[in-house]
Amino acid sequence: MERSFAKEVELLRRGDGEHFEGEGILAITKALLQSGVSYVGGYQGAPVSHLMDVLTSDSKGLMAELGVHTEVCANEAAAAAMLAASINYPIRGAVTWKSTVGTNVAADALSNVASAGVVGGALIILGEDYGEGASIIQERTHAFAMKSSAWLMDPRPHHPRMVDLIEKGFELSEASHAPVMVEFRIRACHVTGRFATRDNRPGQFSTNDKLEKPVFDLGRIALPPATYVQEKKKVEERFPAAIDFIREHGLNEVFPGKHDDVGIICLGGLYNSVIRGLQQIGLADVFGNSDIPILCLNVTYPLVDDEIAAFCATKRSVLIVEEGFPEYHEQAINALLRKADLNTEIVGKGVFPKAGEYQAEVMLRGLAGFVEGSVPKGADLGPVSAAVAAIDRTREKAAEMLGGPVPKRPPGFCTGCPERPVFSAIKLVQREEDIGEVHISADIGCHTFAALPPFGLGNTVTGYGLGLASSAGVAPHFNGRTISIMGDGGFWHNGLSSGISGAAYNDHDSVLVIMANGYSSATGQQHLPSTTAGGNVPNDTVMPIERAIKGLGVKWVRKQYTYRVGKMKRLLHEALTTPEKGLKVIIAEAECQIAKQRRLRPLMRKALDAGKRVVRTRFGVDEETCTGDHSCIRLSGCPSLTVKSNPDPLRKDPVAHVNNGCVGCGLCGEVADAAVLCPSFYKADIIQNPSGADLFLEKWRGAVIGRLGGYANGAAKGNGAAA
Amino acid sequence: MSSAENGAEPLPERTFAMVVGALGGEGGGVLTSWIVAAAESLGYPVQSTSIPGVAQRTGATTYYIEFYPAHRERLEGRSPTMALYATPGNMDVVVTSELMEAGRALELGWVTPDRTTLISSSHRVYSIFEKSAMGDGRVEVGDLVKTANHLAKRPILIDMDRLAAANGAQINAVILGVMAGSGELPIPAEAFEQAIEKTGVAVAANLRGFKAGLDHVRGDAPMPEAEKPAERPAPRNVEALLARVDESFPPETRQMLSDGVRRAVDYQNLAYGARYLDNAAKILAADKASGGADRGFRLTVEGGRYLALWMTFEDIIRVAQLKSRPERMARVRREVGAKDGEPVVVTEFLKPGYDEIASVLPPMLGRALTRWKEQRPGRQKFHIAMRVKTNTVFGYARLRALARLRFWRPWSYRYAEEWSEIETWLAALEGAAAQSYELALEIAELPNLRKGYSDTHRRGVANYREVFERLARPAAAGGDAAAAAAALNAARTAALADPEGDALRTVLVAPPGEAAESRAQAAE
Repeated sequence: MERSFAKEVELLRRGDGEHFEGEGILAITKALLQSGVSYVGGYQGAPVSHLMDVLTSDSKGLMAELGVHTEVCANEAAAAAMLAASINYPIRGAVTWKSTVGTNVAADALSNVASAGVVGGALIILGEDYGEGASIIQERTHAFAMKSSAWLMDPRPHHPRMVDLIEKGFELSEASHAPVMVEFRIRACHVTGRFATRDNRPGQFSTNDKLEKPVFDLGRIALPPATYVQEKKKVEERFPAAIDFIREHGLNEVFPGKHDDVGIICLGGLYNSVIRGLQQIGLADVFGNSDIPILCLNVTYPLVDDEIAAFCATKRSVLIVEEGFPEYHEQAINALLRKADLNTEIVGKGVFPKAGEYQAEVMLRGLAGFVEGSVPKGADLGPVSAAVAAIDRTREKAAEMLGGPVPKRPPGFCTGCPERPVFSAIKLVQREEDIGEVHISADIGCHTFAALPPFGLGNTVTGYGLGLASSAGVAPHFNGRTISIMGDGGFWHNGLSSGISGAAYNDHDSVLVIMANGYSSATGQQHLPSTTAGGNVPNDTVMPIERAIKGLGVKWVRKQYTYRVGKMKRLLHEALTTPEKGLKVIIAEAECQIAKQRRLRPLMRKALDAGKRVVRTRFGVDEETCTGDHSCIRLSGCPSLTVKSNPDPLRKDPVAHVNNGCVGCGLCGEVADAAVLCPSFYKADIIQNPSGADLFLEKWRGAVIGRLGGYANGAAKGNGAAA
Repeated sequence: MSSAENGAEPLPERTFAMVVGALGGEGGGVLTSWIVAAAESLGYPVQSTSIPGVAQRTGATTYYIEFYPAHRERLEGRSPTMALYATPGNMDVVVTSELMEAGRALELGWVTPDRTTLISSSHRVYSIFEKSAMGDGRVEVGDLVKTANHLAKRPILIDMDRLAAANGAQINAVILGVMAGSGELPIPAEAFEQAIEKTGVAVAANLRGFKAGLDHVRGDAPMPEAEKPAERPAPRNVEALLARVDESFPPETRQMLSDGVRRAVDYQNLAYGARYLDNAAKILAADKASGGADRGFRLTVEGGRYLALWMTFEDIIRVAQLKSRPERMARVRREVGAKDGEPVVVTEFLKPGYDEIASVLPPMLGRALTRWKEQRPGRQKFHIAMRVKTNTVFGYARLRALARLRFWRPWSYRYAEEWSEIETWLAALEGAAAQSYELALEIAELPNLRKGYSDTHRRGVANYREVFERLARPAAAGGDAAAAAAALNAARTAALADPEGDALRTVLVAPPGEAAESRAQAAE
């Protein structure tokens, strides 16, 4: 990481009588320390990256003081496997990742930990990446909890409550001997708020206070007959114990309301949205006091049947607010009411859509549909229909006046991104007559964006680190070779084993491009085993990708600096056409520009302030020679390569233009050169704090060029001495 | 609803909700933290959340902020329940850092006349769809501004990008200043200022940006002047030709033809300028004959435009001329932000191939070389990569020498080729004008397909020739002029729809009746 988290760590140190003010994910991190956690592991991914980033940034400070072991795991399966420490020992531990993708990877270890059971509290903090802003396939975590008998909490997004539920989560885990998953949606992780802090406390055992001897218990091993006993225990002991704990400690909350012939049961994470919707239709006040009673499920699995039955018993109609499909809660509640012989009408999917996040407007319409259908006794329905009608009117008016949908703004590669040139090269190599269109097995990472305009490259995506593995079935069905993409993040996550060893073992004859930008960039530039951070990581701790691949027996391995588009194109061409059989690996190397700039900018500023000579490079387009066909943009897509109105009164189409965001990576010039586009690009090296030699050369050149044709030299002109 | 029991002033009935729509990399997160810190400094319960989206640039990111404008101590331990989503019909302030994002907010119903102040920068950051179009793909924003003015309780549309640039600040600080200066938030400007100071990062620049926004929206500081495109040098002795434009051409056409004649003289010489006007006069005659006076002589205007552009085709001599102009260096220095006294070294990327070499040879040799080149596809790939440093003596001398080849141009292969096509085009244009004004206009605009350099140029010329031979030439000879004009328009749009020419092929094989349909598809 090229970032500092000193401010965050300071917040984590606060204790009794103080307050925390900050983001939800950091509040959760603080809650772990207040709960006496002894180890924390995880795999980065929005929205929970921050938890790991902050804790590992201070492993030698606060963590060492508290005796907490922190570890960035190789992947989510490794993180889940860390929970093994809690199987035999009364040690509290927490692991974290993005769900459901991370939970998918972790599922093997998770099932085993859940089956063996735990004696120390085992918590899994899940960043539920569902809905707007999500970067993954859309699924819910709920089914994992059900199948593995790991409990699932979904806390109401209110800092004091979230912190309290983390602490309660450990107790629940210990009371029921099961791991507990706590899910936080993206917005809940980023929500800011405050709570009264308590002192951090060290765990019962820690790196400062070590275990004495190992515990052996065959009953906790995944071997029959223990596994049969474990299954029975899950159902007969742990499940009821969990229910008792949830009930006794009031983990779910009932908020009374005056219209108590109806009610709402919502998942904790959706509570605030329910209140906002009710406020808008005049059924709740600003402090969240609702006219309709609400049962807020902070624990969404298991459900406490009698709690729900008691809530429903006095009501004609109850609305279930849960996102996604299948509607597990609606089904379960219908079933439990049937068993309890209650006739309460259950409303859910129907007024709510079956798929997708319940954003504000969806929530409002769902609540309005429920209220209008169930007609709570004494409720004024006027504001309900008025609120919905007002939204309809505004949106209709806007649509009518705008005259068409506002164009989308898809994300793309950052300015100066080192991965972009690789895709420019792939686009160009496909123009070669002996290559043509190539099937591309894409992977997860920043490079997935190649599928978006202007590149449109990538035919399938099947999971993190699985780019190469996903080509196994398709490659044999093409005459030409296929190209697979894998990032260095994906490579270390599992790509080395599931992709490269598999391809080498099975003699795949295809091409793999490894995007080695040196970081897990899409998740926030975390370090990887192969990270060099521009030489800042000691050499003996870096694990080079090239050596790992060669160690597996792959012979055709080439490294190429990504920005050299022409060379990259030729290398791709060679890999696609060489008679040599077997896997061809191109390691496309260049440092992530975000990380690089974060490191270099302060250094540059310092050097400038110290009066040192610093050369700044920028690119530009000559507006007079640009004819406005924009081929350069279609081959680059750089955010700083844009268009502007044509200063030439005769031309109508806008000219290409490089704005001030340019970091001088040189791709536009490289592309113009490799694709033989046009002579409009120029590179400008601006010499800041020029030396005497620079100025002398400048003066001499200015004088001669002036003679030749009157090329007025700006610097010389500006600098009177040289003129 | 609750009301205050203890204070003289009743407690507010609802929270204050605002949303910030920014683009990745613009500092929306920092802007949000300033607002939160300012609200917090007043003791307001405040909450914010965000969809930073993927960390990558250019995508839209949204930040949602809600606070309760009353001091925490007045609430007797109660806390307001706040939302995590911007809600249509419930927004007090909507902020967008770019105009099209304001359109998105309007589309989502976030901006309502009863309570929403819409604060948006009026500048545009073009999306990839707009940028990568082969012609002009930029979205028309007139309707957007009208909608904003209609739907917002108070619309504040200001070019905050220009304010930021003029004050050496980031746009997020300017936005904060505009927000504070609008007086629409229950937070005084000082609280925001303190928030910036407390953050402690780039404080001076941020305060500068903040003040620029604040002063401008309060009417205390005017909008800084937009940077004007540099004046083009007028070629010497062009006055006589300009006088001829004024004497022989109708007023509607004079601006275009004056620009055209200046360009032609700059490109070659005074005689070339006269030749331009001779040809423009032919177009005018055809224009007049087909009733152009009632149509503002559009045929002469558009014909004059493309005639000038075509006559000044970009061969390597022209490129060298433009790149070695005395004024260019000043423009480059301005564009890259070089300060006085900082030397700038400019490197050009030139890559001439056989086509470029052939273009300056005499016609016989040029034709032979081109024919030889076409015998083997591999020869097309031959190029000489040249990196010319324009500020070095040797680099400059090379460019200057190339530019000096101008005298030779009229005897070159490319000149001969271009002129033979220009004559054909002019003849077709005249022929078409005799039948239908629309048809002639379509033919006048057809040379816009001949754009770019190298491969792009070859493709453009091939497209032009195909459309010209298959549609324009036969139409100019007679037939259903209206249908031909429609077909030409469809083909022209299709040729600019995709670089591979797929859309154009679809249009050219479709029967005339389906041309309009194909065109609609091509435009998608």
